[in-house]
Amino acid sequence: MNMNRSFAAMMRLTLAALVLLAGSPGASAAGKLQVVASLPDLAAVAQEVGGDRVEVAALAETTQDPHFVDARPHLILKLNRADLLVHAGLELELGWLPVLVRGARNSRIYDGTPGNLDASTAISVKEIPTGKVDRTMGDVHPTGNPHYMTDPQNGGRVARAIADRLAKLDPAHAASYKARAEAIQKRSGEMARRIAAQFNALPEAKRRVVTYHRSLTYLVDWLGLIVVDELEPKPGIAPSPAHVAKVLAEMRQAKVAAILQEVYYPSRTSQLVATRSGAKLVLIPGFPDFAGGERYLDNLEEIADKVFQALESRS
Amino acid sequence: MPDPLVAGMALALATAPIATSDFPPDDLRAIEKELQIDAERAPAAALGPAGSPVRARGAANPDISLTLDAAAAAFSAKEPLMTGAHDPSRTGFNWQQLEMGVEAPVDPFFTFKSFIVFAPFGVEVEEAYATTLDLPGNLQARAGQFLTRFGRINAMHPHGWDFVDQTLVVGKMLGSEGNRGLGAELSWLIPLPWYVEAVGSLSDAAGDATARSFYGAADLGVASPLDLQATGALKQFFALSRDWSLAWGLSGANGPNASGRANRTDLFGTDLYLKYRPLDPGADHGLSVTLEALNRRRQQPGSVLVDTGGYVAAVWRFDRHWESGLRADIVEGLPGDPLDPDWSMPRYRGAVSLTYRPSEFSRLRLQGNADFPTWQPPIYGAFLALEVTVGAHGAHAF
Repeated sequence: MNMNRSFAAMMRLTLAALVLLAGSPGASAAGKLQVVASLPDLAAVAQEVGGDRVEVAALAETTQDPHFVDARPHLILKLNRADLLVHAGLELELGWLPVLVRGARNSRIYDGTPGNLDASTAISVKEIPTGKVDRTMGDVHPTGNPHYMTDPQNGGRVARAIADRLAKLDPAHAASYKARAEAIQKRSGEMARRIAAQFNALPEAKRRVVTYHRSLTYLVDWLGLIVVDELEPKPGIAPSPAHVAKVLAEMRQAKVAAILQEVYYPSRTSQLVATRSGAKLVLIPGFPDFAGGERYLDNLEEIADKVFQALESRS
Repeated sequence: MPDPLVAGMALALATAPIATSDFPPDDLRAIEKELQIDAERAPAAALGPAGSPVRARGAANPDISLTLDAAAAAFSAKEPLMTGAHDPSRTGFNWQQLEMGVEAPVDPFFTFKSFIVFAPFGVEVEEAYATTLDLPGNLQARAGQFLTRFGRINAMHPHGWDFVDQTLVVGKMLGSEGNRGLGAELSWLIPLPWYVEAVGSLSDAAGDATARSFYGAADLGVASPLDLQATGALKQFFALSRDWSLAWGLSGANGPNASGRANRTDLFGTDLYLKYRPLDPGADHGLSVTLEALNRRRQQPGSVLVDTGGYVAAVWRFDRHWESGLRADIVEGLPGDPLDPDWSMPRYRGAVSLTYRPSEFSRLRLQGNADFPTWQPPIYGAFLALEVTVGAHGAHAF
């Protein structure tokens, strides 16, 4: 049958093409180390540590909720060429990163290799559940809160961890990576202390906040804020009218100064509650604008400024 | 073996207190510096996730999930002619499936995945395969029983579908369980500036519900590679913008059919998946459009049967929790088709659905179908379907 012959010819051609092209070199043969970070804040830190010796790409966009990133196949190409994958860990990217890594066919970045850095191993993880965890409690991260990059000191620690990995992969420039990471850690420590002191000078009544999702724990701990409640009744569960009404009553009673939430969460309810309670709604960029060249610490300083202005202006 | 007396003296010397003034100042400064660095990192070692029970458990045991699909259904006809093995198919409560997903790395060279479906009448292994982790040249192989990567929806399990029921063309041409079989597959991520993946597989051509256009229910055995189903696919992806994505696939399959000696079946398909997901701050709406078309040619004694079918589906997501969908199926019918003797004329079916997702682990779907098999009166159907997932379920591909 003609169809059979044409199909067989097509298969032969395909196999021949496979044999010819399978050995073609990947793009990672270029001089610079290829670093892929799952999230823009990790990418920004990696870029600062690596300087012009690395090429850094972020998988998630600045405005995306890191829990729900589409596993778009073109991201597989970035991972296919990567020498180092830096990810937040603590199951934050569980819904999308593993499928991309599997598709990338790049054993250099698998778990347990020098090319895979779970950045959470560099920091003190908060909110590790000590009792039983199940999904009636909402979308709880069973290994702890993964939103740790909102504390600049954690950024400094992650910078050192990235420098260690880059040094392993590129020992010739280890000293340069180490020096850059130490400089970031020093700057982050100084900035953290300076801004924390600024917030601590506020009276306690002006440091009361409500957050949308339980993702700002590290930020509020750094700034010495008091979280009265969250708009989500449980992590990842949409606010119900009854819960929002309860939070509104709490806010009025405690004279809460601000509602803090990342830009990727819906803000209409938050705006309503803020207006009715006399609080300010502060929309926090989820990540630095890495593609636009924004630096990690600059982004955190901008966030802290916005929060401070909202709290200070509370009558 | 060392003399016990000498070993004891060495131990005593090693543990005896020594004044710090005995060390060179340069050594002391170096030790102090390293100790300080260690101290800065100590909390991570003590409190980091590496020692948490979940991580430790994950290292030894596979990820296991259970997904239940069940539906209440009402049909205007006693025989609603549903093509999918897991479709609601009678008025009343319908058990669709309880699927157990198991996934874990085997060793540095393979990862394992399996989907086992439980029904009141028994257990069925839908998929169980190993995938390589470390082949050179951007190659990846898998072997075992798997759904072939023909088209877009065939490789998805029912909980990955936007609608409660299987599309007509997949049921008619690939099988009520989707096209799958025992076999081996090789795929290659082609080093081009955009995503292009070439896939080729050889698999069993037998199975009434899994290879119905090939040997189907007649398992005639394997005497040569020509008795297997060969499947090839080219998958491409284009990131049109930050918000728009387009996936385009071309597929072909060839294998023996049971109509006579050396008679074969060819399947050709193309699929398009267009997705709009705005990444503006706070945006939680989106749109996806899927289009899939198949052409089938079956050699029969003295003739070649050629038929075509396809579907187009659009899903509009209002917000994080609600979405609505429209789907249109159209599949040709052939007089004297030995596989579907009644399906002698075209069949058209429209579906509309409304989905509510309380969380990412559950969804409730209300779906209405209007089915027009042109050889008999229309059939109307309505489903209220529940889906819940527990456990650790692997992420789905785009």
